[in-house]
Amino acid sequence: MSKVSFTVNGQKVSVDIEERALLADVLRDNLQLTGTHIGCDTSQCGCCTVRLNGSAVKSCTMLAVQADEAEITTIEGLADNERLHPVQLAFSACHGLQCGFCTPGMIMATVELLERFPDPTDEQIREGLSGNLCRCTGYVNIEASVRAAATAMRVASPAAGVVEGGRGRR
Amino acid sequence: MMELMRHEDHRLITGSGKFTADWNLAGQLHASVVRSVHAHARVLSVNTDAAEKAKGVVAVLTAADVTAARYGQIPSGPEIQGVDGCVISKGSMPLLAIDRVRFVGQAVAMVIADSASAAHDAAELVDVVYEVLPAVSSVEQATADNAVQLHPTIPGNVSLTFENGDREAVDKAFASASRTSTLSIQSQRLYGAPMEPKAILATHDASRNVTVVYTPTQGMLGMRASLAAITGLTTTDLEVVAEDVGGSFGLRGGPGVEHGLLVLATRRLGRPVKWVSSRSELFAAEWHGRALKLTGSLALDADDRISAIRFDDHADLGAYNCYFGGFIATNNLSVTMGGAYDVPALYMRSTLAVTNTSPVSAYRGAGRPDIAFAIERLIDHAASEHGLDPVAFRRANFIRADQFPYTTANGTEYDCGDFNAVFDKALDAAVYNEFPERRAKSEARGRLRGIGIGYYVEKSGAGGAPKDEVSCQFDSDGGLLLHAVSGPSGQGHETAYAQIVGDGLGIPAAQIRYRAGAPDQRLVGNGTGGSRSLYGTGSAFKNLVDVVIAKAAPLAARHLNVEPGDVAFSNGRFIGRNGAKGVDLIELAKKHYIDSQTAHPLDSSAETVTGANYPNGCHIAEVELDLETGEIDVPVYTAVDDLGNVISAELVRGQVHGGVVQGAGQAFGEAVIYDDSGQLLSGSFMDYAMPRAGALDKVVSDTHAVPTALNELGSKGVGESGCSGSLPALSNAVMDVLRSAGVPPMDMPYSSHRVWQHVRKEKR
Repeated sequence: MSKVSFTVNGQKVSVDIEERALLADVLRDNLQLTGTHIGCDTSQCGCCTVRLNGSAVKSCTMLAVQADEAEITTIEGLADNERLHPVQLAFSACHGLQCGFCTPGMIMATVELLERFPDPTDEQIREGLSGNLCRCTGYVNIEASVRAAATAMRVASPAAGVVEGGRGRR
Repeated sequence: MMELMRHEDHRLITGSGKFTADWNLAGQLHASVVRSVHAHARVLSVNTDAAEKAKGVVAVLTAADVTAARYGQIPSGPEIQGVDGCVISKGSMPLLAIDRVRFVGQAVAMVIADSASAAHDAAELVDVVYEVLPAVSSVEQATADNAVQLHPTIPGNVSLTFENGDREAVDKAFASASRTSTLSIQSQRLYGAPMEPKAILATHDASRNVTVVYTPTQGMLGMRASLAAITGLTTTDLEVVAEDVGGSFGLRGGPGVEHGLLVLATRRLGRPVKWVSSRSELFAAEWHGRALKLTGSLALDADDRISAIRFDDHADLGAYNCYFGGFIATNNLSVTMGGAYDVPALYMRSTLAVTNTSPVSAYRGAGRPDIAFAIERLIDHAASEHGLDPVAFRRANFIRADQFPYTTANGTEYDCGDFNAVFDKALDAAVYNEFPERRAKSEARGRLRGIGIGYYVEKSGAGGAPKDEVSCQFDSDGGLLLHAVSGPSGQGHETAYAQIVGDGLGIPAAQIRYRAGAPDQRLVGNGTGGSRSLYGTGSAFKNLVDVVIAKAAPLAARHLNVEPGDVAFSNGRFIGRNGAKGVDLIELAKKHYIDSQTAHPLDSSAETVTGANYPNGCHIAEVELDLETGEIDVPVYTAVDDLGNVISAELVRGQVHGGVVQGAGQAFGEAVIYDDSGQLLSGSFMDYAMPRAGALDKVVSDTHAVPTALNELGSKGVGESGCSGSLPALSNAVMDVLRSAGVPPMDMPYSSHRVWQHVRKEKR
């Protein structure tokens, strides 16, 4: 067993884990952050995408011990309290999700994509999401969600990165 | 300002959804499955000593445990009749292999330990001794002379020879035909791949003597009934819980072997047991789909009218008869084998064979996309062979609007439709007549361009339950909790049903919630399948609106101090006859609320009985081919569908997009491939090419409603129609572009590698 410390969604945490434990499993099983999903075992589906020191990474593809001292953001840490991130809001507004299993990974990948390309071309969107699989939407509305989020984020202060969003219907 | 669209969305975009693997129970154990590495072998021994002694291991289950518990096998599907009155011969799948394994991935043992890693480690220690047997991995191999026999109950490995239609009439039409065309198509074996891997958490509640099973499902009644049949328990001994379900597509309708084993384990061990599959084991061992070869022929009379269509089908059932497998190449292929055309004679013959591969069951459309694909390829092929225009040829043979209700030559009654109107709208939307200009532009850029039409008609699900029941419970703020059986897995049930009820009662949809399969409701109904949740369960909700209004009318009359006959309801409000006073239904509901333990006087239930209907549509695809690389792009795709009345245009578009791109997945990349020894070559997303972002460059989707009178909403199914339209449209476009390159047709998938090889081979 090893002790690993990192900052997850702004909170410092320390956990005792098996050395072979994957970051995705530690987030889900030790920290109960079950919004990070695991959809495959070959790093293909991207359901487990989180931000690690600012980069989008597939958390099933790194050992948790490799994330020691890192700063991690998961889907649970994306909204600013009740204020949804514009990427979250855009995925719903554009019907960019159906079953929702791939959605946390798609959203985390999109957040990084839009940091790199605030006004992305279709090509940049497709390249940016090429590591994420969705089985429900056919990607048409996912691409629309990315474009809508990009527009919203450019209209809002780019520095703030967050715009006012609804809490949902329920 | 962007707004949340669906009721489901907030929890799913914030990571607070609850999929099966997200559940954990105190004291839970973890399971790992030991699977066959051979396609066909005798199991000589299963030695579990080392595994049982391993750290953290609590139990190892083998076939002996299943037998001792008197558990049964996986349901093998309906008793389908074949030629000459014979009935389907079956080989049923045991929960754990008894003396033989028949496909790679078949479950042989299950290890249960106090952690998932301990269970996986110990699974490696289970020592299975096999005597390898020859294997067959295709229908051709399985039905060859002297082929190895899989099951003593299935002589010659042919489970069923099925026929439908009038062979004599078809033979006669072919004998007098002026021209004929014949084409074989493969609808290759696929893996449906819902993004949520299969998972189960089972726990036995001894105080109630009920075993609760958390698992992805399309409707808990189907899951529970099959689990009861497997375990010998009664349905009241079992509860099935699913909150969020990460896709299903036909794969999650009934329990697999793991469900039965976890019920056994939790009841024996007295602790919750959890199993979360790896994607790799699902590629090998979850139900596969398609796996069909259809050879179609059509006969033309002197006026180029189709006088007969004949199909000869080969269906690969996999190693065992499971659930829906036998239904695909029988009912589902034959019921619409004439497609959208007025064909006086139809005949189909199907051979259903077992092979040493993972069992085949339903996957999005379950035979319907395959037959639509076969017919529409045949139509285009005949047009191309005989120099006919594919548009005029279709039009001349369509069932006309004035022929409905139309009974096909093999007895299927299409209730309504207007194929010419849908066709016109699609040709307009696709700007079909300007295609030559686009083709010229593509050529100027060094790309060949093709166009393809697919006009599908499919029979949506009739449903297995006798009716669809729904109910509702009012809460303190006039809001509602709706109940039904149909379990969502992305379709947006919570949003669509709330919209139907909210619009009817004048209650904001935001105050209406939906729960599928609550055990205390004891409702009867269909699970989500056959594209029927909106028109079946949704129609029952439409009826529920009327029941609630009828119950509320006397309360409104009393409130308004008028005679009960003197109130009228409109737009959520009861108004007295003179119109002077009124009261909103939601206010009445609030006024009569007592507490959560007391039934509200407006709590109601309703039902509907509705069978199948006939969604249809015209999809038009354009493709560009780069001859140097074999790469094919889809610059524009147009879908115009007759789905009857549309309740939510956004949800419908989402279903169409998803279905179309699953079809594109099959067309351009996906293929489950076994080698001749039955080893699985496509065992992960590394080598099973799923569609990714940009699969289709641009999708135009529209509808043309011809409402059906077969259900209260006037709606038709949508969930599976996308696949039925896109397989033929994309394939016909690819054949068109290949034709322009001077090469003959090829089978799916049209991956750049395969297209490049095909072009090189044919051009040589």
